[in-house]
Amino acid sequence: MNTVISSIQARHPGIEISVIIPIGRRRSDIGELHAEYSAAFGNTGRSVEYIYVVDGRAPDASAAVSRLVEDGEPVIAVHLTRFFGESTALMAGFEQASGQIIVTLPAYRQIEAGEVCKLLDALDNADLAVSHRWPRAGGAGERIRRTVFHTLVGSITRQQLHDLGCGARAMKRRVLEEIVLYGDQHRLLPALADRQGFRTIEVKVRQSPLDRNEKGYSAKEYLHRLLDIFAVFFLVRFTKKPLRFFGMVGALILALGSLVMLYVIVERLFFGVALADRPILLLSSLMVVLGLQLFALGLLGELIIFTHAGGMKDYQIDRVIEFPHARGAGGPLRDTTGTRNW
Amino acid sequence: MSMRPRLSVIVPFFNEEENIERMHGAIVAALEPLQVPFEMLLVNDGSRDNTLQLAIGIARRDPRVRIVNFRRNYGQTPAMAAGIEHARGEILITMDGDLQNDPADIRNFLEKMDEGYDIVVGWRFNRQDKMISRKIPSRIANRLIGRVTGVPIKDNGCSLKAYRASVIKHIPLYSEMHRFIPAMANISGPRIAEIKVRHHARQFGKSKYGLSRVYKVLLDLLVIKTVASFTSRPLLWFSMLSLPLLLAGTTLFTWAVLKVLAVPQESSLSIAGSGVIFLAGAMIMISSGAIAELVFNTGDVRERDFARLTSRIERRRP
Repeated sequence: MNTVISSIQARHPGIEISVIIPIGRRRSDIGELHAEYSAAFGNTGRSVEYIYVVDGRAPDASAAVSRLVEDGEPVIAVHLTRFFGESTALMAGFEQASGQIIVTLPAYRQIEAGEVCKLLDALDNADLAVSHRWPRAGGAGERIRRTVFHTLVGSITRQQLHDLGCGARAMKRRVLEEIVLYGDQHRLLPALADRQGFRTIEVKVRQSPLDRNEKGYSAKEYLHRLLDIFAVFFLVRFTKKPLRFFGMVGALILALGSLVMLYVIVERLFFGVALADRPILLLSSLMVVLGLQLFALGLLGELIIFTHAGGMKDYQIDRVIEFPHARGAGGPLRDTTGTRNW
Repeated sequence: MSMRPRLSVIVPFFNEEENIERMHGAIVAALEPLQVPFEMLLVNDGSRDNTLQLAIGIARRDPRVRIVNFRRNYGQTPAMAAGIEHARGEILITMDGDLQNDPADIRNFLEKMDEGYDIVVGWRFNRQDKMISRKIPSRIANRLIGRVTGVPIKDNGCSLKAYRASVIKHIPLYSEMHRFIPAMANISGPRIAEIKVRHHARQFGKSKYGLSRVYKVLLDLLVIKTVASFTSRPLLWFSMLSLPLLLAGTTLFTWAVLKVLAVPQESSLSIAGSGVIFLAGAMIMISSGAIAELVFNTGDVRERDFARLTSRIERRRP
C-alpha cells in the first residue's frame, strides 16, 4: 500500500518523544536553554531525546551542543554546513528522530518551558498541536500586523489560528512522515497538515518574558509573510485544480477586454470614431490575449495533473479495517496502518 | 478470503448512521441469492457521527466487509476513488450509502457486464427528488455533458454504476469527477451501456451533496474535453485555440499596413499595435501547446495504455 507510509522502525525503541530544536540566527545560550527544556520534560516522566540542528556556521552554538553530547545528555547533534532555513533544519532533525511524538522547540525563549506539557496533552485528540502565545507582549502596530496576517491566512485555509510564528509544536510522527517542508513552510505546517487530513489543535501557552524582538520587522520580513500567504493560497486551494484559478482570472480579464473592444468597435462602426489613434484598443487587445493566455495556462496545468494523477491522491486514508476471520470467535483485527487506537 | 472475489460493492458513507445497517442488509439480501463471491467496501468519508463504529460492528460480523476510513471528509469522488483503489473484485459496483439506490438492481448490472460491456451506468428514470433544485439542473447538465464528451448518458449523477476493474482502475479520478467517470473512462473507448434503475426518496438523514457547482462542473467539463479528445495531440488543441488570435492579428496588421499605404499622414499605431499583440498571443499559445506536448511525453498516462485496457486481441492458434 502506498497511501500510508509505514512508520520507520525506531532506532531507539525506548524513546517516546523526540524534541527537535533548530538553532538558527536567533538563539539563546544553548546550555541554559537545554537545562530548562529538560527540566520541563523531566516532569512528564517520559523518555525524551533532544536533537539540536545547528543551521549555518555558528561555532559557539556548535561547541555548546557538542558539549551537551560529551556530557552524556540524551542529545543528538546535527551540524549543517550552511544556513538552510528552519524548514530544512527541521527535516534534517526529523531524519534522526526515533520517537513516536515529535516536538519542535525554538532555540530561544519563546514560551515558558513548563508549558510544553500542555502541547503534549493536546495530542490526545489531535495529530498536531501548535501553540498560541497568550497573553502576548507587543505594541499596537505589532498586534494589528499579526491580526491581519492571521485573518488572511485563516480566510484562505478556513482554519483560524493565531500564532503561526511560534516554533513550539507537538505532533505525531506520521505528520512529518507525510509532509515535506521546505522554504518558509514550517510556519504553514498547520495548513499543510490539514490538507493531509490531520487534526490540528491550538493551545494557549504563556509567553516567556524573555521573548522580545527588539529589532522589529523589516520590509523584507513583510514581503516574506505576503509570499507565505500566496503559497498557502495555491497549496491549499488550487494545486489539484489549476483551471479553477487560472480559468477564473482568465475569464474575468477576457470578459473585460472583450467588452471594451466591443465598445470601441461599436463606436467605430456606428459613430465613426476613428480606431487608429485610440490607445484603448491596445489595452483591450492586451486584455483579451492575456485572458486567453491565462486560460491556456490553466489547461496546461490540468494536463500536468492529469498525466501525473497516478501518483496524486485527493484523499488520505486513515486506515483500512477488516476482520478476515470474523464469524470465528471474533478473529484478530487486521489494521493496515495501525498507529491509532480506538 | 484470499481468493479474488468476482464482485466488489463500493459504498461511501458520510454521516449515515441511520442507513448503514440497512444498506448492508439490503446488499447482502440482494447478492446472496446470486451465488456470486463478493466483497463490500464501506468507505467512511470522515463521518462525525457513529457511522464508523457501526461499520466496524458490521465488519466484525461479516468477513466480506472491509472499511476504508478517511481521516476527514473529502467528498464523494475521493470516496469512490479510494474504494476503487482498494477493491479486489473483477467487477466493481458503486452506489450511494443513503438507500436511494436499490441493491436489487445489481443483478441487472451483472447481466449487462456478462454481455461484454465494460461500464454499465444507472438511469434513475423515476427520480425521487425535488424538481426545481435537483432534477432540472441535472437534466441540463447531463445534456451538456453528453454533447461535449460524446457519451450520451442520461444520468451522469447516478451513483449506481458497474465497472470492469481492469478499465476503471487506470482512469485518473480527481476533483469532482464522479459525474464524469464514464466520460473520463471514454478515453479508453469502453463499451458503455445504460440501464434503468429504481430510485427511492431519502428515508433517513439529510442529502449531503448539493448542487450549486455549475462553475466547477463547467470547468471540469472543459478539462475532460481537453484531456479526452486531445490526449495524443495537445499541440493541435492549443494551435486551434490560437487560430482566432492569429486571424485577428493578421487582419489588424494588414489593415494597418494598407492604411499607411493609403493615407500615410494619418496615424495607425493603435491598430498595428493590437495586431502585434494578437500575433504575440498566438505565438505564446502555440508555445504552450509545445510545452503540453512535452508534458504528455514525460507523463505516465499514455494513450496506448488506454487502448490496451479495452482492446480485444484475436490471434490465430499456432
